[in-house]
Amino acid sequence: MPRARRGRIVGAVSLLIAVAACHARSDTRPVITYSGSAVGSQGEIVRKQIARFMTLHPGVVVKVQSSPDDATQRHQLFVQWLNAHVGDPDVLELDVIWTPEFAAAGWILPLDRFVPVRTDFFPAAIAANTWRGALYAIPWYVGVGLLYWRTDLLPHAPTSMDQLVAFAERGMHAPGGARFGIVWQGARYEGLITTFVEYLGAFGGEIMDAEGRVVVDSPQAIRALTFMRDEITRWHVAPPDVLTWHEEQTRFAFQNGNAVFMRNWPYAYSLLDDSAQSRVAGRFAVSTMPAAPGGKPTTALGGAELAINRYSEHPDLAYQLITYLTAPAQMLERAQATGDYPTRVALYDDPRLARALPVPLHDVRDAIAHAVPRPVTPIYTQLSGLLQVQLHRALTGQATPADALHEAAREMEGALRDAGCGMRGAGCAAPDAGRGNRS
Amino acid sequence: MRDARRGMRGAGRGTREPLVNSRSSHKGQLRIPHPASRSSHPDTRFARLLVAPALLVIALVAIFPLGWTVWESLHRHDLRLPWLGTPFVGLDNYARIAHDPRFWGALAHTAFFTAVSVSLELVLGLIFALAMNRAFRGRSLVRVAVLVPWAIPTVVAALLWRFIFDAQAGIANAVLVDVGLVQHPIVWFVHAATAWVPVILADVWKTTPFVALLLLAGLQTIDASLYEAAAVDGASAWWQLRRITIPLLEPAILLVLIFRTLDAFRVFDLIYVLTGGGPGTSTEPVALYTFNALLQNLQFGYGAALSVVIFAITFGLALLYIRGLGAGGAEVGQ
Repeated sequence: MPRARRGRIVGAVSLLIAVAACHARSDTRPVITYSGSAVGSQGEIVRKQIARFMTLHPGVVVKVQSSPDDATQRHQLFVQWLNAHVGDPDVLELDVIWTPEFAAAGWILPLDRFVPVRTDFFPAAIAANTWRGALYAIPWYVGVGLLYWRTDLLPHAPTSMDQLVAFAERGMHAPGGARFGIVWQGARYEGLITTFVEYLGAFGGEIMDAEGRVVVDSPQAIRALTFMRDEITRWHVAPPDVLTWHEEQTRFAFQNGNAVFMRNWPYAYSLLDDSAQSRVAGRFAVSTMPAAPGGKPTTALGGAELAINRYSEHPDLAYQLITYLTAPAQMLERAQATGDYPTRVALYDDPRLARALPVPLHDVRDAIAHAVPRPVTPIYTQLSGLLQVQLHRALTGQATPADALHEAAREMEGALRDAGCGMRGAGCAAPDAGRGNRS
Repeated sequence: MRDARRGMRGAGRGTREPLVNSRSSHKGQLRIPHPASRSSHPDTRFARLLVAPALLVIALVAIFPLGWTVWESLHRHDLRLPWLGTPFVGLDNYARIAHDPRFWGALAHTAFFTAVSVSLELVLGLIFALAMNRAFRGRSLVRVAVLVPWAIPTVVAALLWRFIFDAQAGIANAVLVDVGLVQHPIVWFVHAATAWVPVILADVWKTTPFVALLLLAGLQTIDASLYEAAAVDGASAWWQLRRITIPLLEPAILLVLIFRTLDAFRVFDLIYVLTGGGPGTSTEPVALYTFNALLQNLQFGYGAALSVVIFAITFGLALLYIRGLGAGGAEVGQ
């Protein structure tokens, strides 16, 4: 390399270092980092609100650290970071099913010292974020399972499980009827659990009871899973294809006019109502899943929460950011931009929310009132994986529903035992987790 | 021998040469060092010095991680259960593997997948290689064209096959229904038996070209005068294939078997994209189960033990094959 050129490169590099050093020295403001969904409309609104937070708090710098949008991948990344005890990101966007895991591991701070008002939020969302009595994350937005149905094929939403099947058949055989009676998420992934939770509640079953015992092989649960299987193989109202479908495949089927019913999240509503891409625009409505005698209408609770990294250097600033992002004004703005449901009860009496959301507000409120969290346990993702396999085996005819659920219960109990989790999660937590606040 | 043959068959030499060379380099790697390596010779010492950095790199990138994985596999290390710590548990993880029905299922699926796909690839690859070995116009074009599936990234190929076997919109069902073989579209990925069809077809489609090229290289080392002599003696083409081609192709076939068996045994991306191991876990191979334990359940100790088991199996297979290859290579060399 010619001497002159090498000199230029050395010069340029030292200049860069000098600039970087000056830059670092000139800004002594504390930096906090947010990490969560940072793509699409969700990413846009978060960046906008964070920018506004910084103008309101000129003494703080907030950085957005993108993390994978895929929940499983983000979970994996967060767990690796927190295991390494890194101090940033300070504010984490958690999926509703991760809070107990992160709390028990001692990776996120209990928030009670900041005195959040629990009663402002939906009780189901607070329950999902509570671990051993302490609140570990603030509910940011909720998602609930909805039953979409065709108003041009049916007189009203079904009021019982028998009517669900009868209506599905009626909608299939009506002139101009749909090919499929009902579509739901049945592939072997977390979506199958959310579908199952809704059928399970409709028959009066639970995955785990209030004491933390695995009761997923109860007679009610077996009836619920048998019902799901019968929808496919006995009544032929659900196509076997659902066993490979995620949310989007069910939406495409419903959107093309191929299904009488669809179980899906609220995001589908505005897409289905867009006549440019949907053949059912203006010909559908939403309701909650009906129930069988002895059960109650149930919707699976989804959504996102905001928590603080235990190793954060600025927990107070992090909480300020959380307070700002979960304030009523920001929730309304977010609902408008993304269609995400606020977690604050009072907002549902606000006419601005009714204007912001595409789904009729009384349907939303009704669905959230029936929302049930998935089991609150630190090893939820592992239990879910075990249950997914057994549900899928039963639905694809590799095992009877009873055998599959007994096997699932046995495996889940084994996993809980291995993790040291006793009743109500006793024993499965880091020695210092939940001991209170870091001083 | 090679030189003599080149003299006899001048045509197409240009296209053949690189293939022959690539094969001989494979052989060179596998051959055991010459016994004349006396340590006292100054050149030998210098040679060792030159090799040292490479050995250091290998130790760093291959042996160290392997040792670390073995060490990890002797511990209970669950990233999501930090309250358990990382206690040393001896061979507990291996005992758990021995009693884990999902592992044995995965092992059986892997063996099934390997046996079926590698045999199909070998038979089809041999047919392609024999066809490509004949002199015809545009032969080099055909050889390049055959390589296309091999060049497509596995994930892309898997997605392609998933669309082909889509129950509602896939070409596979459309063809089967049109021809009248089936009345209703088959939902391929919902039944344990039918889910294997796209998986194996995709693998055969993708890797047969690789097998064909390796075998083609082997075919080109066979002395043409053997066929001439056989033809003079009135041997049929079938007899020539069985008594000349296949025995002399043995080293190439063994090479194919090593590469393909080891690859097939570690199959991951294809099945991850096509079936995710489903329905249930009925197409789950060991690599996918290990991935599941390691990266989804974050059970580092158990996952490490599973990795060590896979390593031991593939290493054992490789040793068996290399011994076979060594013997075969010696025969041809004489």
